[in-house]
This record gives sequence, structure tokens and C-alpha cells, in this order.
Amino acid sequence: MENLIEIKDLHASINGKEILKGINLTVKAGEVHAIMGPNGSGKSTLSAVLAGKENYEVTGGSVTFLGRNLLEMSPEERSWAGLFLGFQYPIEIPGVTNVNFMKTAVNEHRKQNNLPALTAAEYLKLMREKLAIVEMDPAFSSRGVNVGFSGGEKKRNEIFQMAMLNPRLAILDETDSGLDVDALRIVANGVNKLKTPQNATIVITHYQRLLDYIVPDIVHVLYKGRIIKTSGKELALEVESRGYDWLINESE
Amino acid sequence: MTNYIYTPDNNNPGFRCRVPLNNTVQLFVADGIMQQENIGEISIQQQERGYTLHVEKGKNIPELLQIISVRTSANTRPLDFSSRFELESCSSAKLLLCSHTLSEDNFATNENISVEIGENAVLDLVMMQNEHNNSIHNAKFDISLAANSLLRFHIVTLHGGEITNTINVNLNGKGCECDLNGLYLANGKQHISNKVNISHNVPECHSNQLFKGILEDEAITKFSGTILVAKDAQKTEAYQANNNLLSSDFAKAYTQPHLEIYADDVKCSHGATVGSLNEDELFYMRSRGISYNEAKLLQQQAFAYAALAKINNPELLDRLGNLVEKRLRGEFSHCQNCSTHCC
Ligand SMILES: Nc1ncnc2c1ncn2[C@@H]1O[C@H](COP(=O)(O)OP(=O)(O)OP(=O)(O)O)[C@@H](O)[C@H]1O
Ligand SMILES: [Mg+2]
Repeated sequence: MENLIEIKDLHASINGKEILKGINLTVKAGEVHAIMGPNGSGKSTLSAVLAGKENYEVTGGSVTFLGRNLLEMSPEERSWAGLFLGFQYPIEIPGVTNVNFMKTAVNEHRKQNNLPALTAAEYLKLMREKLAIVEMDPAFSSRGVNVGFSGGEKKRNEIFQMAMLNPRLAILDETDSGLDVDALRIVANGVNKLKTPQNATIVITHYQRLLDYIVPDIVHVLYKGRIIKTSGKELALEVESRGYDWLINESE
Repeated sequence: MTNYIYTPDNNNPGFRCRVPLNNTVQLFVADGIMQQENIGEISIQQQERGYTLHVEKGKNIPELLQIISVRTSANTRPLDFSSRFELESCSSAKLLLCSHTLSEDNFATNENISVEIGENAVLDLVMMQNEHNNSIHNAKFDISLAANSLLRFHIVTLHGGEITNTINVNLNGKGCECDLNGLYLANGKQHISNKVNISHNVPECHSNQLFKGILEDEAITKFSGTILVAKDAQKTEAYQANNNLLSSDFAKAYTQPHLEIYADDVKCSHGATVGSLNEDELFYMRSRGISYNEAKLLQQQAFAYAALAKINNPELLDRLGNLVEKRLRGEFSHCQNCSTHCC
């Protein structure tokens, strides 16, 4: 299968402090990868660096996304190329409605593909279709982006956005945290419905529970900025029952 | 009443007003000279430079009166003119004052606008300033409100070289209310100042000020707001806020609140902020494929909105919103069917 992303010996730091200390990871089309790891190990840092957040400094290594040098691209170019990050902490944007936000985003994507902007009616139809995937009330669309949304609603909104943008590679950073059982099922079903042989997903999670719904092909454990273990889906179960200590000891 | 389309013949053959808003009566003032006689219920007295507009007791003018005041190349000398709006008791009117320059001459304009609002009268006033970079314009408002009257005032400075708005409001009658909202957009080397003085002279009046500024490049803006509460003006409520959004390290927003309170039973507050674009919001938007410029624009529009939101004519609100957007996109706002820059 085609390599969507190839991360080689990636080092990154923030405020002079090295957080990622040589990440190697390749994701192929059709795959689901899970990344687990203790708090502070660098999971969100990895996703932010891949999405192009500017306050991180990449100090070494390379990232190739669909044959292109990802690290040279701006955040919006990465999105246009098909990368999507579901934020661990989605940002609230008071004064910008969800509908205006997503319409602008969708139309910018279309512009990149030389497609005309969607009409209001076309957008509405698409939006309703995608809102249904995450069982979100259309009333959310007229509210400020994530403003006053509950934790779970914010996470559903991330998956809604993913559905609207139809990415090749989605990185979902703890999309399951803070979700009740029903919301977890809805979000996981959403992700599964969007799965195709052409795209891939990286789910970052602390809990085996999510992986019962979104079954990973490969599980990685990240610790202190390095992937210390890569295995099949049974690794998640093992982490759940035994914690991380044995893996850390094994690697050290 | 009819809607007028202006094609002033001699002085400025190029000027034609755009399609007017619905239910609007347009009046035209060229270089300070009012071009109309009385219109329907409204009495207009022309002066040498300036005019007086009078609404009789108990009259409610349903139409929006749009008064388009332009400076033209026919007269490029410094000009002083005065206008006066009088609303007798229990009357109401809606005014839209548009201020433009039709050429890029070095205009200097001193404009005095006095507004007298009678008991129980209601005035919705919107001022829109859209002038060239070579224009210096001082607009001074002297406003008085009688008992139980209401003024909703929005002052929107879209463009102009050096604009100074002085707004003096005297709350003279018990139970009156003044809601004052300002939006100023400044880029290049533009200077925009707003000086507001609100005097609560009697008890039980409310005033609210919200001024928002968006600055780019090397623009300079100043806001100074004074709230004065007289000794006997108990149960006063007076609020003031000035927020500025800078997207350049070289722009400067000065802000100076000033409260002078001589009564003891009052609710007053003021707050001022000067901030830059929110990086987290920008990154979130960009990560969805919204380019940096569009993300910045969305943020600026969101910031500006509160200063316009209370305009209760949806069509006007929409049009001003569009003009603000065009302006923030770096276009000197004008519509498709007109060569000038009128609202
Ligand atoms: N601005 C910063 N300055 C210094 N250290 C930082 C900064 N931002 C993040 N870090 C550190 O980087 C490390 C990795 O953080 P990161 O958020 O990537 O962890 P994580 O694996 O996502 O954790 P969690 O499971 O809690 O979400 C942490 O030790 C964190 O304190
Ligand atoms: Mg994290």
C-alpha cells in the first residue's frame, strides 16, 4: 500500500527544551494506528508538529506526506494536502460561527482543487449530511466555534469537521477523553464511517475502550519523545492491564 | 416620499448614489451645502453652510434618512459647517450620516453637529465615515437628551487620513439613555481619534459606550472617554469599554478612560484593552485549511461585530458588515455600480 506519511528521526523542541527525540513512524493507506503513552510523553507535541504549529522548532529529521516535504508547508497547505488534526483541546472562537468557519474552510479546499465555491444551499446539504454522522443538532452551526460547547460536543465537532474536509490522514488527539459511553460510540462510529482504503487514521488515546470501537492495525507506545514499543492491537490490552512500567524498564 | 438617485450636474458629474437601502430617503450635502428642500414631514432649513433638520412633536418618521455629505474638488479650501437635528418630544427618527470625499484633494473639514432630543423621543443615529487618506475631518457632536429619551448612536470610521470625532453628550432629563458604539479601522499612516464626554447631569440615566479599533501598519488611534456624574445624579449607570486589536508591531492605540463621579449611588465601570491576534485561534483555523489572511479576517470581523451588532436595521447592518469586510481585505470600500466610496 501507498505510504501516506513517513516520519524519520524527528526531533522537535519548544523553548529550547527537546520534546521529540527521534520519532520514526510510517503510516500506509488503509491503516489505523494507535499511539499510547504516559502523560507528557510528547503525543500532542507530535501532532502539533505534524500540523505545523509554529512555536515548535524542528531540530532534526524529516516528514514526507504523500511524497511532499511536510515540514516546509504552512498549516493551511498541510490541510489542503489532506492532513487533519483533531485537537485534544479544541479552540473556542467567539464571534465566528461554526457555519462560517467550516464554509470558509471547505471553500478554501475547493479553491485549491480549482472547484467553484459551494452555494449556500449546497453547503447546507453537505453540512446536514455530515452533522448526521456525529448525530449533532444543526442548531450548533449558528453558534460560535466551540463556544459554550460541552467537552463531548467539542469532540464531536472535531469529527464533524473531519467529515467535512475528508482528509487522507487524520490524527485524532484524545478524541475519546471526556466522552460519555454514547458519545464515544457516536464518535467512533463517525470515524469508522469515514474510513476508506485510501485514507488512514492515527488515534492517540489513553484507553483501550476506544480501541474496541476503532480497531487499530498497529499500536505504538511513546515515552519521553521516543516510540519505545510497536506491536499489534494486543499491546493496548497489555498496557491497560499492566501499565507502562514494564515497557519503560524493557526499553531502558 | 420617493427615493432619490443623485446625479449632481455641474460640480461633480461622476457622482451617483448606489442603490439605496429599502425604505430610505436620501439627502445630499455637497461641500457643506444641503441640496434639498423640505421632505414630507421633515422640515429642512438650509443655511449658508449646513442645515437644520426638525422633527415635530409626536411625529414618527418611519423611513431611514440618509444624509450623504461629500467633499468635492469644486471646493478644496478648508471648510467649516454646522448641522442641527432637533427632535421634539415624543417623536422618533432614524438617521444615517455618510461622510465621503469624492477626490483625493487635501480636504480639511470642521463639522459641528448638534443634536437635541426631546422628552420621550427616540433617535437612531449611524455615522459612517469613508474618506481618502488626504482628508482631515473634525466632527464634533454636541448632543443633549431630555427626560426618558433614547439615543442609539453608532459611529463607524472605515477610512480617512486624520479623523477626529468629539462626542459630547449631556444627559439632561431623568431616565434618558445613551447607547454609543464606535468602530474604527485604521491602516497605513492614518490617525483616528474619538473623544467622548458623557455628562450625567441628572439622576436615573444610563449611558453605555463601546468603542472598538482595528489597527494595521503604522496607524495611530486614540480613544479618550470621560464619564462625569454630577453630585445629584444618583442611580446613574454608566459603562465604557474600549478594545483595540493590533495586527502590526508598529501600530499604536492609545486609550484613556476617565471617570469623575460626584454622586454616591451609581454603577460605573470602564475597561480598556489593546491586544494582538489570537495565535491559537489562527492556528486552529489554518489547520482546517483557512489561509492565514482569511483567518485573520475572520478574527477581525468577529472582533468588530459587537460594535455594530445593535444596529437595528438588518439591511444597514448587513451593508456595513460588508463594507467592513471589504475594508479589512484592503479595498477602499465601494460598490459595483458606483465609482465613489459611498455607503
Ligand atoms: N511551551 C512549553 N514549554 C516547555 N515545555 C512544554 C511546553 N509545551 C509542552 N511542554 C512539555 O512537553 C512535554 C510533552 O507534552 P505533550 O502535551 O506533547 O504530552 P502528551 O503526551 O500529549 O500528554 P497528555 O497525555 O497529558 O496529553 C510535557 O512535558 C510538557 O510539559
Ligand atoms: Mg496530549
